[in-house]
Amino acid sequence: MTQLAIQCADQPLLILVVEDEPMIALDLQLALEDEGVTAQVAASCDEAHALLERHAFDGAILDVNLGPGATCRKVAGTLRSRGIPFVLHTGDLDRQGEAMRELNAMIIPKPTPAPQVIRHILEQIDA
Amino acid sequence: MLFEQAMAQTRMAICLTDPNQDDQPIVFANRAFRELTGYANDEIVGHNCRFLQGPETDPAKVREIRAALESERVAVVELLNYRKDGTTFWNALHLGPIYDRDGRLLYYFGSQWDVTDVHTARAEQMHAKAMSREVSHRMKNMFSVIGGIVSVTGRSMGAQSVASRINERIQALGRAYEHTLDEAAFGTIEVGQAIRAVLRPYDPEDCRIVFKGNGVRTDPNIVSVVGLTLHELATNATKYGALSGDCGQVSVDWRHEGDRHGRQNLVIEWCERGGPPVEAPGGGAGGGTGFDIVETLLRVAKGTLDRNWDPGGLVARVVIPIGSKDQ
Repeated sequence: MTQLAIQCADQPLLILVVEDEPMIALDLQLALEDEGVTAQVAASCDEAHALLERHAFDGAILDVNLGPGATCRKVAGTLRSRGIPFVLHTGDLDRQGEAMRELNAMIIPKPTPAPQVIRHILEQIDA
Repeated sequence: MLFEQAMAQTRMAICLTDPNQDDQPIVFANRAFRELTGYANDEIVGHNCRFLQGPETDPAKVREIRAALESERVAVVELLNYRKDGTTFWNALHLGPIYDRDGRLLYYFGSQWDVTDVHTARAEQMHAKAMSREVSHRMKNMFSVIGGIVSVTGRSMGAQSVASRINERIQALGRAYEHTLDEAAFGTIEVGQAIRAVLRPYDPEDCRIVFKGNGVRTDPNIVSVVGLTLHELATNATKYGALSGDCGQVSVDWRHEGDRHGRQNLVIEWCERGGPPVEAPGGGAGGGTGFDIVETLLRVAKGTLDRNWDPGGLVARVVIPIGSKDQ
């Protein structure tokens, strides 16, 4: 029992990165790894849901637009229902603004340097 | 009769329909109506005016017309109509009931106004807006991707700190351009918006930087010079100047100014107060690679940057020529 608790405490944080642009995803992933955090990257809602089936995430960074007509909305809903904190990372505040405000999550405008983006989600997990 | 002459000659297309006959046929149409629709009088009179509708006419608009007729209301409905030759026009249809002296419904009048031009202009404007949003979104994404490339490449070459300095400048540039796209249609941009956007991250509490400039507009081309210059001034102020402590302030003023050669310049004045005691940086006129780049950029733009290490705080004056204004 004690051993299990210690093991959990030692386990690195696990963050879900939903981003369809590989360069941005990689940048976030490397910045997370700098902080000793493990990242799993999904390029679509379906991929994200598949990862959510298999892993217990501590938090998530969601790109809002995931290709033509697709948004991260469903993933955001799933995360919300599981109580997993997330931030929205988007270059499109105008068009998606209204829909995203309903999600009531922190919005980080693109472009923002990766270390700043991940600081926001790590702060939320700490809190 | 004068009235009938006026009806016949007005350039406003007018028709009357008789609601007391089956299918409410048109009983009168003026010359303007015939010219607008391309039909001859005998093709109009005796027919219900639905012959103006076609496949692209919005059924909801037709329902609006019907509802107005049923409740004997005056209404204006804008709908797509068809001429005899099959071409379309946007019709701002104004319709309403006409009663006799005893209050019995006699006719409906309809006046047709071709608003195709208005419609096209409106559609183009909406299209342009949608396009500029799309471009703006893509541009922000592009800046984000560039940032990713720079930091991932820098990391792989063991030059992370260089990469992050490059990235800070790229981000400043991205912010400076943020507002230019929405305004691109005007051909000029409001300098203040770019200045505020660039400096936003250096003043998270929104009380350390005071903006004094007005709504002066200028050529979008100088945005990169303005953006990078202010980025360096702000970075420096954060490290050594008024923004490094807890209570210093920076005031930023901007305006157009003519010089003695009759040229117009954009002048930006940067004034730091309340920071730590000021000393001019040693080692030449420079002050770090950041300003080397800025000075090179300004040289290319034929502008200048003067910095005075006033004991109370750095005072800087940026002058950038803007050719187009008075020419």
